[in-house]
Order: sequence, then C-alpha cells, then structure tokens
Amino acid sequence: MTDLLKSLRYTLLALLASLLVGAVIIVVTDIDALKVGDYGKAFTTVLTAYRSLFEGSFWGLRSISNTITGTTPLLLSGLAVSVAFKAGLFNIGATGQMLAGGMTALWVGFTMSGPGWLQVPLAVLAGAIGGAIFGGIAGVLKARTGAHEVITTIMLNSIASFLVLWLLKTTLFQREGRPDPISKLIADEAHLPRLFGFLEGRSDLVAHSGFFVALLATYGYWYLLKRTTLGFELRATGLNSDAAKYAGMKSKTLMVVAMLLAGGFAGMAGATEVLGTYGYASTSLAGNIGFDAIAVALLGQSSPIGTLVSALLFGALQAGGRSMQANTDVPVDLIIVLRALIVMFVAAPLLVKAMFRVKSQFSAQGQTFRGWGG
Amino acid sequence: MKLELRGITKRFPGVVANDSVNLSIATGEVLALVGENGAGKSTLMNVLYGLYKADEGEILIDGASKKFNSPADAIASGIGMVHQHFMLVPVFSVAENVVLGSEPTRRLGALDIEQARKMVRDVSDRYNLNLDPDAIVEDLPVGVRQRVEIVKVLLRDAKIVVFDEPTAVLTPSEILEFFEIVRTLIRSGKGVVFITHKLKEALTIADRINVLRRGKVVGDADPKTASEAQIAEMMVGRPVQLTVDKKPADPKQVVLSVKDLSLIDPDGRTVVDQVSFEVRAGEIVGIAGVQGNGQTELVEALSGLRNANSGVVEIDGKDVTKASPRERHSLGMGHVPEDRQRQGLITGMSITENLVLTRYHDNEFCNGMKMRWSDASKKAKELVANYDIRTSDPDQLASTLSGGNQQKVIVARELSRKIGLVLAAQPTRGIDVGSIEYIHEQIVKERDAGTAVLIVSTELDEVMALSDRLLVMYRGKIVADLDPKKISHMDVGLYMAGSRPESAVGSHR
Amino acid sequence: MIKRKGLKSAALAIAAFSLIAGACGGSDSTVTEETVTEETTAETTAALPGEGILACQVTDTGGVDDKGFNQISYKGMQDAEATLGVTIDLLESASDADYAPNLQNFADKGCNIIVTVGFLLGDATKAAAEANPDKNYAIVDSAFDPPIANARGLVFSTDQPSFMAGYLAAGMTKTGVVGTFGGINIPPVSIFMDGFAKGVAYYNAQKGTKVKVLGWDTEKKDGTFAGNFNSLDDGKNIAKSQADEGADIIFPVAGPVGLGSAQFAKESGGKVKIIGVDVDMSISNPDAAEVYIASVLKNIDAAVLAAITDTVNGVKTSDNYVGTLANGGVGVAYTAVPAELQAEVEAIGAGIADGTIKI
Repeated sequence: MTDLLKSLRYTLLALLASLLVGAVIIVVTDIDALKVGDYGKAFTTVLTAYRSLFEGSFWGLRSISNTITGTTPLLLSGLAVSVAFKAGLFNIGATGQMLAGGMTALWVGFTMSGPGWLQVPLAVLAGAIGGAIFGGIAGVLKARTGAHEVITTIMLNSIASFLVLWLLKTTLFQREGRPDPISKLIADEAHLPRLFGFLEGRSDLVAHSGFFVALLATYGYWYLLKRTTLGFELRATGLNSDAAKYAGMKSKTLMVVAMLLAGGFAGMAGATEVLGTYGYASTSLAGNIGFDAIAVALLGQSSPIGTLVSALLFGALQAGGRSMQANTDVPVDLIIVLRALIVMFVAAPLLVKAMFRVKSQFSAQGQTFRGWGG
Repeated sequence: MKLELRGITKRFPGVVANDSVNLSIATGEVLALVGENGAGKSTLMNVLYGLYKADEGEILIDGASKKFNSPADAIASGIGMVHQHFMLVPVFSVAENVVLGSEPTRRLGALDIEQARKMVRDVSDRYNLNLDPDAIVEDLPVGVRQRVEIVKVLLRDAKIVVFDEPTAVLTPSEILEFFEIVRTLIRSGKGVVFITHKLKEALTIADRINVLRRGKVVGDADPKTASEAQIAEMMVGRPVQLTVDKKPADPKQVVLSVKDLSLIDPDGRTVVDQVSFEVRAGEIVGIAGVQGNGQTELVEALSGLRNANSGVVEIDGKDVTKASPRERHSLGMGHVPEDRQRQGLITGMSITENLVLTRYHDNEFCNGMKMRWSDASKKAKELVANYDIRTSDPDQLASTLSGGNQQKVIVARELSRKIGLVLAAQPTRGIDVGSIEYIHEQIVKERDAGTAVLIVSTELDEVMALSDRLLVMYRGKIVADLDPKKISHMDVGLYMAGSRPESAVGSHR
Repeated sequence: MIKRKGLKSAALAIAAFSLIAGACGGSDSTVTEETVTEETTAETTAALPGEGILACQVTDTGGVDDKGFNQISYKGMQDAEATLGVTIDLLESASDADYAPNLQNFADKGCNIIVTVGFLLGDATKAAAEANPDKNYAIVDSAFDPPIANARGLVFSTDQPSFMAGYLAAGMTKTGVVGTFGGINIPPVSIFMDGFAKGVAYYNAQKGTKVKVLGWDTEKKDGTFAGNFNSLDDGKNIAKSQADEGADIIFPVAGPVGLGSAQFAKESGGKVKIIGVDVDMSISNPDAAEVYIASVLKNIDAAVLAAITDTVNGVKTSDNYVGTLANGGVGVAYTAVPAELQAEVEAIGAGIADGTIKI
C-alpha cells in the first residue's frame, strides 16, 4: 500500500508539474493577449482551460462517461504493453494486436445473431484470441530466431493496418453501398451494453460495459502476476533472464506466452472499441491508442494498479481536452503536450524532486525497463 | 604529500556509515583499509574523493584543510581513485578511454589521437604497465582493463591512488601482476590506499593496515607482526574460524558421474576436453584452476544450462546429459552458481521470492498454477532464521542485502531442498569473512549428512581447505587428482599453471 | 471572434518545445508575428444574411492544419464568415473516439449547421443528425445512403477534371508516356486516376496517337499506390520509376506523397512535369512551382460555402451536393499549358458539363 501511495505521489506531482508548464505554454501561445499586455486575460484563459479540462473529465455524468470511454481501450492496451514489459519484452505492437482483435471481434459481431449474453462474450473472446495470435507471432519469431520484438512488432503493425485495409474492401467485411473501407455494422445484440443505458433519452452517455472487461482484465493481470506460478516466471524472466534460466524456467516458452497475453489484452481493446464505441471497424480503429499505451504502461510502471491509474488519467485528459477545446481557444493538441510532459516528468523523477523539493530517498527502485536489452 | 582524514562522520538515514574516522597516508607507503562489507570503507573513500560530503570532520593535505565538493576538487589535490567497477567505454581504444574527459586537441577541437597514444605509451613504459594504446577495451582481459584505469589516474597527476577492492575481479596471476604495479607506483613516489576484505592480500602488500568495523576504525595492525586471525577478529568483532574444521570424509555411492565430457564454445574452441570424474555421497570434491580454464563451462554443462558436445553426465546412475535444469533439480541437484548477481538471484525481487526461485513449482508452495505465498513466506522466515540471513523483513528486495547475505540466500535455498548433490561455484567470491566461515560450515554439514558436493573455486585456499579430493583443471582438462592434505599450495599452484611439480604425489592424467 | 486554431497549435508545439529545451527567445517572437499576420478574419458588419447563424466544423484526426481537406473545408467556413456574416466554430479530433463527443458538444452549443470532414466521421455524423433533427449536417467527401432528412454529403465528380487533365497530359507529353499513382486504393483516390486514364484514352481516340498511361489499369481498376498519404520518399521513388519507364508527366493523387514527386521533378531539371491535385499546387507548393503544368481542382471550400449558404437561406435538404464542372465544384487550373491545347481542354470540359462527352 505504501508503494502505491509512493508511486501515486510522483504521478500526481508529475501531473502538477506538467499543468504548470502547460499553463506557461497556454499563456505564451495566447498571442493576442500578450500583444496588448493583457495578462489578466491570459490568466483567465488558463483558469478556464483547466476548469473545463476538469469539468470535461469528471464533472457530471457525461464527462464521467466520456472519461470511461477513453480509459477502456487505453487500459486494455496499456496492460498489453505492461505484461510484455514485465517479461522483459518491449511490445510496440499493441496497435497491430488491437486491429487484429478488433477484426475478429467484428467478424463474430456481424456474422452471428445470437442472444447478447452469448454473442458479446464470444465476440470479446474472439478479439482476445485474434490479438493473441497476432501478438504471439512476434513471440514465436523472437523465441525461434531471436528477431528483436521491437522490430517485429513495428513491422506487424504495418502488416495489420494493410491487412485491415484489404479486409475492409472485401465483400465479407465492407459495408454494402459504401465505396470507402468501412465495415459492416455489428448486430444489435453484439453491442456491449451501455453503462448508462437505463437512463432514458441520454444517448450522449456513450460509456459501455467494455470498461468492466478492462477492469476484469486488470484484476486478471494482477492475479497472474501476484498469485500464479506463470506470473512469477514472467516476472523472473523480465527482471533477470539468466537467473530465470538457472532456476529452470523455459525462457523461450515464456516469451511466447508473454506476447500471447499481451496480444490478448490488446485484442480485447480492439474488441471493446468495435463492440462498444463504434459498432463497426475502420482503418483508424486503433488510432494512436497502441502508442499511447506505451506511455500508460511506462507511467504505471507496468503494475496493475499503476496501469489502471495512468489509463484513467489519460482517459480523463482525453475527455477533458475535448471540452477544453470546445470552451476555450486552447487547441486539443495541448493534451498531447500535457501527456508528453507527464511522462517526461515521471521519467525524470529527479527533476520533479528538485521542482518540489521532495525529501526522502527516491532512488532507482522503481521498475526500470530492460526491453531493449531483450 | 601527506593526506589526513580527521574525525570524519557521515550519516545516512538510519545508519552512521562513518563514525569520527581518523586516517592518514603519505606518499611512498601502502595503507590497507580492511573491513567487512558494509563496514564503511567505500563511504569513507567516497568522502575523500568528493562524492559525498562528510557531516563532520575535515580533510587535510600537508596540514592544510581542504574542502572537496566534487571529484574534480579531489583530483586537483592529487587524489586518484580506481573504482571496483571500471568506468570505461568498451568500444573505445585504450588511448581514447584514457583521454576521455580531458582530450588533447588540435586546432578546431579535433582530437589529437597521436598525442593521446604518446601519453599512454609514456605512462605505460614508466610504470611497466605494458599497454597497447590502440587495443579496444572490450577485447582486453579484466586485469588489463584495470591498468587502463590506473593510467587514467596517473595521467591526472595523482599522488595518492585509492584502489577500491581491486583484486575482487582479478585472477590469481593478475593479482600478482597487480601487486607488482603497486610496488612500482610506490617506488615512483606515489602513495596507495588499498581497500579490501582479503586479509592475505593486505598482509602481502601493505605497509600499514587499518581495520574498520561498523563505521569506526577499530585498530591498526602491522603486517610484519599481525596474523590473519588477529585481523579477522578485529574485523568481525569475535574470533573467526579461518580454517575449515571437518572430520575425515566417509564417501559412499557415486552420485555424480561425468564421462568424457567435452564442450566446444561458439568460436569452435574446445573449452572442456574429455573430462571424466566422479563425486560420491559424503565427500567434497574441489576443482581448482585459474579462471578461464573451462570450470565455468563445466559447471554450466553439469547444471543443464549448456549442452554437452560429447560425453555423458549421470546423476544417481541416470543419464541426464540432455536433461533440463529443472529435471536435474528434481533429481536432487542443488546449484550455487558462480555469479550470484547474474544467475543466482533476482535482485529486483523480494528475499522470499528468491528463496523459492528454484522450487516455487513444488507442491509445497503451489496448487497447480496458483502460488501459495503464505507458505512461501513461512518457509522464507524459517530459512532466514536458520541460515542467519541478516534482514529485518524477508519481503524486502534482495538488492537491499549485503553481498554475503545475498550469497547466504542462495546457499539457504539450494541446501534446504531435498538434495543429494550440490554444485557450488565460487561459493564465497567477494563476500566477507564472517559469511565465508558460515557458508563453509554449511557445506561441510551438508557433506556430513551424506550429500555429494562439488566445489569449483579459483581461490586456492578455499578449495584446499574444503575439499576431500582435489582436481586441478588446466586448459579444459583435468590434469591432477590430488589429496589436499598431502600436497602443498605451491605444488597445486604449479599444476594450475600447467606444469608438473618434481615432488608430485597423487595420480596424473 | 474565432481564431485559426491550427496555426495556434503549431505555435503551441514550438512553444512547448522551446520551454522544455530551455530555448525560449527568438522563436517565440517569430511565431507571434506569423500568427498575427494570419489573423485576418473579417469583422462582421451589419446587414449580412448570415447574422445569428452558427456554423461549426469537426475535423478528422488530420486536424485543421493538414494542408488537405480539413484545411480547405475550413477555408470554406472562413469564406462563409466573410461573405455571409455567420459565426464559425471549430473542433479538432485527436482520435476517432473524439468524433461523437465533438459532435455532441456542437449540438449542445446550438450550431445551425455542422460540417464534418471525411468518411471516417460518417457513422458519427449519421447518429448526430438523427439525434438532432433540427440541425443541418454536411459531410465532406462522403454521402448518406439511405438519405437522412437533415444531412447531406458533399461529394465531387473528380473524374471530370481528371479526364481533362488526362487529355491535357496526352497532348503535352513528348515521350508518349504519362504516369499516375495514388495514395491508397480507395474510391476517392482511384476515381482521379480512372478519369485521368480515360482522358488519355480519349485523346488517343481523337488524335490517333498511342500515349501510354502508367500506374492505372482501367479494366482491372487497379494500379500503383504508395500505400500511405505521407511518405515523400515514396512519392519520389514512384515518380522516378515511372520516369525511368519513360513518363514525362505524372499525376500523383496522394496528398503529401505527391510533394515528393514534385521534388523529383524539380531535380530532373524540367524533364518531368507534374499535374497537381485538389488545389492549385503551383501556388500551394511554391518550392517547386515550376514543375506543375496544371492542377486538378476539387473545390471543397466552395462546397462547404454552398452548404452553409443553404442553411442561411433556410434550406434543409438531404440532397447531396455534387461538385461538377458545371457548378464549379471541380475544375482545372492551368499553369503552363499551350494556349491551343488549353482551349481544346476547356472545350472538352464544356462538353462534359453539358453532357455531350460521357466519361
């Protein structure tokens, strides 16, 4: 518990630090106000921007719903990067795995027409399997040939995006009457139920039960790491593969298993996006989520709770950023800057420490990433 | 030049690392600073080198008080430091490494590599270091790398050179060469501070010995009169058993049998050449040899981490030549690996987790895939108590333990399993006297309980003291099978160097 | 007053960078001036018909400064502000997940017409239009089938000007070989290439020549594609390989990829010429203005302006706006075309517009 508090504290301080820098950026870029020397207006802009950032992420049902919607795929794909990190692998391929999982989930979503209680879990499972197979390729390549997973997962991302483009133009997937690469809509029963579906006339509350899938997956990840022999083996391999071999663990099998799990999580991210958020698939289904997931995992130090917290933070920034853009002249790009700053401040704890004069030892006891060492 | 530390106190949260330490060293002499791991030797030297600021006390050079805020100040005052872990760029040449940070330049800042080469040659010749300025550091043996560090220090005009555990990484012959270098330095008017926990070395090379215990200087010793046992007692604070006390062995059935084992490394060199031997229940067989004569590879093959190219390995009569490490573990093999940080431990995991690293899959600790950490914790508490592992909480990371206690974790884990065979490689490398004594006791106890023990060590004293039977390895072959009670250190040393003593006893191969 | 947010985000990125790099100073002031000179939004004056109308645009993930359809659409918005006096607002989408919430934000804000850009916003626009029947929706480069009462597509018959460009290229080639290639094989792209190839074929039929087209096969509906819309290197390489096969006029339909082709043409020292796409590239790409002989225009801004004008006039329709040669929604800009040939091409354009020439 103290570890959690400790890691939370630095994340929060990093958030605070980046909001400060962000404020300076808002002021500096508010050219009009600066030009006439209207510092009061600049100050107001910052206040309004941050107020709508907060309100857009946590104030009121719609904001919470938007935050949940944004968090869901970030959390699942963040787990995909985290589980690989734990095993000492650097999974850049969440994008490709999401696409693969999204497409398999989509296929189950529009070909079947069973009752929802059957079709939804089946489609999510199909997404996990699709993603797992795709992630597993990188694992097998590494175990068999030693091909570095950073290279292979990046390449597999490209392969996935072209595969999706091609699939979306086949008659199996392409929506009838549409010239562009966009898929058929999934069956009504295949939709992940909306969280606030019980509220009449609130179609703006888009959050769906994919969030529970993500929370369940996070619990599963925690259980795996802390309570199973496999999790112990994965962690051991990630921290010291020589010692793991010495202890009799099968490092090659573990590589493949880690990538299968990673792909499974990312595949679920693709599945919940298709089955919950969109109801169809397009080439930009995965967007930047696969890469934001790396930041999520990094920020969360690959721990289950850390990944959850940082995914929530990023999801909230995403939702709040939209309302900030709508209410002020501050462009949504500020959110990208803020996210980058948070990660940077977390990666540079000494800087944060100096900024806030945090006492106590803050040594390199956090998880360090050994992915490149492979 | 005369350097003096007066009343140095350095506190860290919860510990006083140095407690009003007084120390002095002049050019022309070797001062050995000995103490167990964690006694405060390194802290003291880091204060001297400007890396830490002392809470109290002062540093005087030729009687004048100095303030060191950074290593640059220390270097400017003529103090040089050779760290235990070298700070070299592996892909650079010797000359490039030596000038790194103060590169001689030509116009426009171009690196004057010719000048750098000349500087290295000059220093190398003057101190007999025998260094090739153009050699690439990563190709050099550890002993030569250390000389590169020494050149770096000398080029920065050090009058007093501090060596932090310089022999920990060296082979016996490199240690001898190192001592020669130290003597040359002294003859050239330098002063040397030699930090070590190896008493024999301190006695060999030092003019004076200071003993540190728990941050305090607890005594001075004159190497001409003091004995190893006296100094060890000062270090540990109680009388220490330096020799191993054991009954004669009572060997029973063959447990480990190795027949014509050969190993070829990826470069095609034969590193282990047709090796055959047996280890019986209830005996300790030692393998002596200079580092790099195939012992590491032999142990890897015996433990299943490396495939044999030819030959047969049997445990209890079962052919395990192609068995995985786990299969061998289940046949009752315990393995204390050579490199505890790299193989034996996962320092980023807790002590408890490390204590079950090779047995987490036993029914004792899991139901199928589900770990029972409560049982693991119970076991860990028991082992921490039984094996005298000094920690307040087994849930702390293994990295928080001292080297000796880390090694005790490994020994505890491996010896507490149901085993009939122990492979122990370098079981006491780099750990303090107290822990060595303890680990030796445990190994002998295991033998007396009927376990077959194979010890591989480059520390001749250790194998001589522990073994009931002594094999010597040279260039991948076993060149001698000796009775350690009937042969002198000197003669074993000759076998290790590849020659055969006149007064040879025992059988040869 | 609404600002050019795109420029501001560029300024923001630079400011962020210089803050972090600790390199504040000069760069900020240049940003200031650039932005100020670009701040030329017209002040609304009284008596314009669009007074009180709020027109809003949601971009796709390219953002408003994409030098592509988002930016051109926004130009249409600004034109509407200047000429009709409407108030305009803009939301950029950072990811696909932003579409629905952005549309929701605009609906809440009381926008009278909401313009969305690109087929990726199709489903979100459909949902928003159905949820808000009192508002008008228009989507650039896409259409609704079945139609929605208050939403329309803004689409373009780009095969028409491409056909003219093909004829033009066939008339100007010295080697008898011309080339085209696309970004990704999707209809909004391939329609250009198809029109271009048919224009060349038409020239051959008229003049009895045998000008060859590289990069598109009218029969198979397939051709050369870069596989992306952003690699200038790909544009360079494809142009080079087509030039190696003899092509001296190339028509890239691939956004920024085409800029790489222009770069290659520039380096070829006048041997290879380029036909621009979407906008008059001899103006929008001044670095290589001399390599363009003409550009195929897709006047998205005109379409956006037309859609807003309809809303201002109280017209609610589900009819798609189709940009044609006839209504000026598409066209050709000539940069370096001989006068007679230009007249011939214009005549063909007129023929397409009045239906006498079928593509």
